[in-house]
Order: sequence, then structure tokens, then C-alpha cells
Amino acid sequence: MSDHKNKEVNPFSPKLSREKVQENLMFGLFRGMTYFVLFCAAFLFWDILSKGANKIFEGDGLINWEFLTEHPQTLHVIGEGDEEIKLSSSNYYKLKDEKILAKWNLFAKSPGFTSNLSDLDNEMIELQKEWTEKSLQFTNAEFLKKERDNISNKFAFWSDLLTDINASARDFEVEPQEIPGLVSEFILGHFEKERSRLPLVETKIILFRAQQYSNIEEPSLNTLKEIEKAYNAFLMKIPETYNQAIKDFGNEVSLTYEDFTLLRGPKEFGRFAEALVAYETIRRAFLDIETKNWNSIKELIIPFKQAMSVSLPSRDYAYSGGGIFPAIIGTLLLVLGAMTIAIILGVFCAIFLAEYGKPGKFLSLIRLAILNLAGVPSIIYGLFGFGLFVIFLDWNVSLLAGWFTLAFMVLPIVITASEESLRSIPQGFREGSLALGATKWIMIKTSVLPFAMPGILTSSILGVARAAGETAPIMFTAAYAKRSELPWEGLEHWTDFFFQGVMALPYHIYVVSAKIPQNEYTSDMQYGTAFVFLFLVIGVASLSMLLRNRLRKKYRW
Amino acid sequence: MHNVTDTSPNTSIDSTVLDNEPSIRIRDLDFLYGENQVLHNVDLDIFPKEIMAFIGPSGCGKSTLLRCLNRMNDLVDGARIGNGTIEIQGIDLHDKSVDVIELRKKVGMVFQKSNPFPKSIYQNVAYGLQIQGIKSKRVIDEKVEESLRKSALWDEVKDRLNENAYGLSGGQQQRLCIARTLAVEPEIILMDEPCSALDPVATGRVEELILGLKEEYTIVVVTHNMQQAGRISDRTAFFYLGKLIECDQTKKIFLNPNKQQTEDYISGKFG
Ligand SMILES: Nc1ncnc2c1ncn2[C@@H]1O[C@H](COP(=O)(O)OP(=O)(O)OP(=O)(O)O)[C@@H](O)[C@H]1O
Ligand SMILES: [Mg+2]
Repeated sequence: MSDHKNKEVNPFSPKLSREKVQENLMFGLFRGMTYFVLFCAAFLFWDILSKGANKIFEGDGLINWEFLTEHPQTLHVIGEGDEEIKLSSSNYYKLKDEKILAKWNLFAKSPGFTSNLSDLDNEMIELQKEWTEKSLQFTNAEFLKKERDNISNKFAFWSDLLTDINASARDFEVEPQEIPGLVSEFILGHFEKERSRLPLVETKIILFRAQQYSNIEEPSLNTLKEIEKAYNAFLMKIPETYNQAIKDFGNEVSLTYEDFTLLRGPKEFGRFAEALVAYETIRRAFLDIETKNWNSIKELIIPFKQAMSVSLPSRDYAYSGGGIFPAIIGTLLLVLGAMTIAIILGVFCAIFLAEYGKPGKFLSLIRLAILNLAGVPSIIYGLFGFGLFVIFLDWNVSLLAGWFTLAFMVLPIVITASEESLRSIPQGFREGSLALGATKWIMIKTSVLPFAMPGILTSSILGVARAAGETAPIMFTAAYAKRSELPWEGLEHWTDFFFQGVMALPYHIYVVSAKIPQNEYTSDMQYGTAFVFLFLVIGVASLSMLLRNRLRKKYRW
Repeated sequence: MHNVTDTSPNTSIDSTVLDNEPSIRIRDLDFLYGENQVLHNVDLDIFPKEIMAFIGPSGCGKSTLLRCLNRMNDLVDGARIGNGTIEIQGIDLHDKSVDVIELRKKVGMVFQKSNPFPKSIYQNVAYGLQIQGIKSKRVIDEKVEESLRKSALWDEVKDRLNENAYGLSGGQQQRLCIARTLAVEPEIILMDEPCSALDPVATGRVEELILGLKEEYTIVVVTHNMQQAGRISDRTAFFYLGKLIECDQTKKIFLNPNKQQTEDYISGKFG
């Protein structure tokens, strides 16, 4: 405007006009919006990747395999600040066991502790031999009676002693009454933990014993199971029996040989060795009581008490430790199953719609229905799956119910995409095929489907991968917040595989974000899971691209 | 009034044709797409081992009539015959006893736009045999070679049978489509503007091929190319607005047509 003269000289000099302002404004707006979207996307990825990397590459920058291969566990945090150690439950208990063992080893070497583990083991073997020989000498009934008498005699003797002990106990730091308590406490605690880990060896001993007791000749599988059950019940009872026995010194309590020797059964050391040694300690303590060797009792009991009370003070956070392996497996299973079902159902529907259906009211109605289905919120699919599969068909919360629910959810996408792919196949292929005398199905099978497959697969796989990220449809139908078995573990029959719930990544994210008390460690878990999930989805997507490119190369026209 | 040639013997049709019953007999044919009638009262005979050319301006119904002959129009929704019959070797095509699959094996079709399958050259030719359930590799191999030889393609492709058909030139693709059709041993071959997408050299090859096939097959070919009709056909049918105006010896149609409309069309006054 100002260079009025120039304007006449140069016809191309800039001119401020409404259009120009508008042009610049719109350009700025388009650019601004695009940049805003880019920024949001970048932020999202950066956020997930950076925070997720925390969990995936922990500490030394190496991949945190535990996170990818372990079950979710409670996180135990020991210490503060720089010395803070984070341990998942399994590692925490391993450490605790190690500490106890170390302490015990120290104790076992301490003066006053006369025996060592291998001695004990040998002694046990001797005892067993002796017992077996004895049991062969007599008939069972006779033998048992003898053994019982033997033991109750001992108890009668101890009972008298106990009165003595009680009388003079006040002079010692360890009250003699403490002894029974200690024993039962130890055994109780120990067996609570070890019950499931007791080696098989022992079961065999029990079986052997049981056979001799009841003159079972050839134990059948059922008998074995029965015995195992009885054995477990027996183990549960031990602390009680023991406690009671020791309390009721001299009363009509009969402890069988088993009550003692079972504890000493296994030959392997480790946690169980503790029990052996502890038991032996107590036994020796009793022997010392018999001989009124009070100082020896003191020497043994006090360190024992200390040894048994190893404590690892920790702050515990549920769900914040361990890994997400079952969730990864669960999600993969869900995706694969749902994909298979959705693609089969979807492609069949699409073939009908694209190749067989005659245009008309009916077809438009179907199309309308499919379009509308695509708009139904995922939570509604969840409810639908819950009502139909979980409740009505009684599949419970299971893989199968999840598969079908997810499959139905992506069906509209798969059908639409497949129909489009089918329609994009040149009409010439169909006519060429029919003109050579093909039936409609042969025409579809040989000249349409193979060429439409790349398109069908890519869009379907992408659709399913996207749906796999939904929490709502699996929340009621397939997902467990926590499950200790992996899908292939503990199946009684192969069909059970389909009727089990699984953990899944999206639901896991939901659980650790919304269902448990939040703390500084849960966010790591959330983002770590999101990170893995992101890569899983990217993996599935690139797989579908790869597949498409390969198929495309094969069929180009 | 449309029946110009009809079945009456004609001087320049060779004797084999004369002796024979017409291979295709179309009577009083009305054809409609929905409510839109595109063929009116067509009467036409096509004799064994002759080449019949359909000419006429765009949209006059040549393709429609051609596609009626192997019931390709069944695929089109709403397409139907209003009136009249089509008989091939004396059998009404729309009779209940006619299996359209068997019909299409006898009446092959080559399309305007060459449409080989995106498979290997070999698979393209073998396709028609394979869908008939022929498994023997030897039989198929022989048939593939024979068909490719008949369609004058063998020498060009014998070393690349396993390459994708879309690596061939347009003319080769069209000849491949013809070979594919020959492999199923049809008796009648319908061709809808087989050369419309080809350059003159390729066109020449395809025309040669068509002339060669005349020995064994009845051929109906639609074309917009007058010279082509003149070069290859024995007789020519001229259509206009869904009506068969005139059908006669090609020479006669081109040199001395009976109808004014035919003359106008051939001399390029409209169309
Ligand atoms: N599938 C169809 N549905 C409805 N109408 C059609 C269909 N195919 C063709 N027609 C109509 O039928 C008439 C004849 O078409 P046809 O294709 O037979 O003409 P043509 O003579 O082959 O023309 P061209 O030389 O351009 O190929 C045209 O008016 C066309 O619009
Ligand atoms: Mg046409």
C-alpha cells in the first residue's frame, strides 16, 4: 500500500488483500494443527518409551528379563535411598532363605554343636535300616506295639523330668517351658512353607511304611493318591501332634516312629536340612534334659532361637514386582484366537455379501447392521459376551468367551475390509474364470480369494490387533487380574485349555493403574507393561505388512 | 424386416457351411437390463466354422448379444431375456436341462480387455483343465503346449512358462487368453473386441490367429474396426440401437449393403 509508485513499476510487487490474509491464516492454521497433532503423538510415544524403558532396562541398562519372564509379584523394597534394593517376592524369599541358611551354617559350626549335617544324615540312614530290620523281624502289630511302648516309656520318663525342670527352670535364662513352644513354632512355620516342596523321596518312604502298616501289596494309582493325601494331612497334623505331645508329656500320647523320622526323611540339604538340624538340636536338647546338662541346653537353644529369627525388614507393594509374562502370553493367545475366528467368520460373510448377495433391501439392511455394529462401544460387546458366552453358554470366564467376544467386536471391520478387498479384484478375473466353465465357488476360490487375501489379511490383522488393546470386552469374559498358572499348566484335559481365563496386557495395565493402591513403584509397572504392549502391537502390525508384501509380490497385476 | 440373410443359402459361403444346420440360432430375441430394453427382436443364424463379425455404433447391444450366447449375462442383476430363444446345436440355452457350466465349456469367450489371471503363463492355460479336475501332469502339459501353439504363442513363451502372465505384452496377453480358452476345447469362441487395446502389429498377429482357428471353431467376433471385419470375417451383422439392421456376406455388406443405415455407418457418416 505504501509503495504506490513501485506498484506501477513492478506489477508483481506484493499486495495486501483479504485473500492473501486469509491464505496466510489458513496456511498457519493447517500447519499449526498438524504440528499440534504431531506434538501430542511424539509426547505419547516419548512418555511411554522413556518411562517404560525404566522398567525394561533396569539399573545397569541390560534388559530386565525378569519383567518379561516372571509372574506379577509383590515388590519388596529393602533399605532406603541409594542402598535401596527392590526384590520381587520369589527373589526376596530366596534371599531370606539364603540368609537363614548362612546363619544356620554359622550356628552349626559353633562350639557346643557337636554334630554336623552329614553325620546326621548317616545316622538317619542307620535308623532307617534298623527300623526296617526290626519291622521285618516282628509282625507289624507286634512291632508297632513295641515301638509305641518304647516311646511312651520315654515320655513317662520325660514327664517326671519336666516337673524337675520346671522346679529349677527359674535359675536359667531359658525357661524350660519355652522348649515345647519353640519346637512347635519352628515346625509349624517350617512346614507351612515347605509342605509343597517336600521331596518325593519322602512320599516313597511313607508309601513303604504305609504298606507295612496295612499290608498293602501292590499299591494302585488310587492308593498312591490316597496315601499322598493322607500324607499331606499327616504333615498338617505334625505340628499339632508334636505340640500336644510335648505339652502332655506322660499323658496317653503315643508318638509313632513316623512322627520323628519323617522329619528326617530327605537326604538333600537346603531348607529342609534346617529342619533336620533344628530337629536334631531339639532332640539333643531333650537328651541333655535327661542328663540334666543345663548349660548345654542353654548353649544350643539360644543361638537356635536367633538363627530362626532372621528378619529382612522390607516395605511391600502388591503387584509392583515380578513381571508380566502370563499377561504377554494371554494377550498373544487372545489375539491369535480372536483373529482366527474373526477372519474365518468375516471372510465368509464378506464372500456372501460381495459375491452371492443380490443387491436389494435385504443386503442394504445387512450392510446397515454391520455399519452400526462398528459403532457399538466396546463395553457393550463386553456385556454381550458376558451374557451370551459366559452366562448363557456357561463357558465361564475363559479364553473361548474372550475369543468370540473380541472376534464379534472386530467382525464389522473384518467384513467391511474383506468386502472391499473382494470388490477391488477386477471383474475380468471372475468373468474369465466363469467363461472357462468354473462354478461360482471355484471361481471365488481360484480367481478371487487368493488375490484378495493380502488386503483381507492386512486390514483384518490390524483391526484385530487394535481390538486386542481393548480392556472392556475381555474384562468380563476372559481376563483374570492374577493367575499363577500359565495357560498350558495344570490342564486335566486338553479341552480345559479353552475354558480357562488368562491374564492380558490391557487388563493388567488397568489393574495396576486403577485397582491397587498407587505408589512410586506402580507407575513403573504400568509404563513397562504399556511399553511391551506397544511393541507387541507394532510387531503384529509389521507382521501383517510383511505378509501383505509377500503375497502382493506373488500376485501382481 | 430385420431378417436380411436368414438361413437362405448364400453364394460365397463355402460348402461346409451350406450343408450344415446353423450352429447358433437366435430367434425374436428381446433383451432387457431391468426395464431398459437393449435388444429388439433379433433374428440371426451363425453357421459352424464361420467367422461372424458384429459391427455397430457403441451401445447398440453387440456385447450384450454376444454375452447372451454363453449366458454371461446371468451375472448381471436384472438382466433378462424378454422374449425369443437362443438355440445352440438345436438346444434352447435357457432350457432347464442346460447346465451353464457345460455350456460355457462349449462356448468359450475372449474379452475386450485381456484378463489373464495373475499367475504363471502355464497356470493360466492349465486353469480350465484343472478346474475340471484333470490332475495328470502329462495331459495338462500336452494340452498347454497344444493350446499355446494354436494361439501362436508357444515360440514366444516356451522358455518362460512359469513367469507371471502380466510380464507379457498386451498382444501376448490377449493371445494367452485365447490359448486359455482353446485349452478347454470349445466349439464356439466368442470374442468381444479382442484387439481394441492392441497396436497394429499385435492386432495383425491376433487376426492371423483368428483366421487360423477358423478351421476348427465357430467364431463370433465383435469389432469396431471395419477393416478388421473386412479382413477376417465371412459374414457381418450390423446392429443399430438394439436392432439387427442387416446381416450378409462381409463383402456384400462393405461393398453393396442393402440398407441405407449400413452404408452410412460403414462410410463413417455416424457412429
Ligand atoms: N450391466 C448393464 N446394466 C445395465 N445396462 C447395461 C449393462 N451393460 C450394458 N448396458 C446397456 O445396454 C446397452 C448395450 O450395451 P452393450 O455393451 O451391449 O453395447 P455395445 O454394442 O457392446 O457397445 P460398445 O461397442 O461400446 O462395447 C447400452 O445402452 C448399455 O448402456
Ligand atoms: Mg461392447
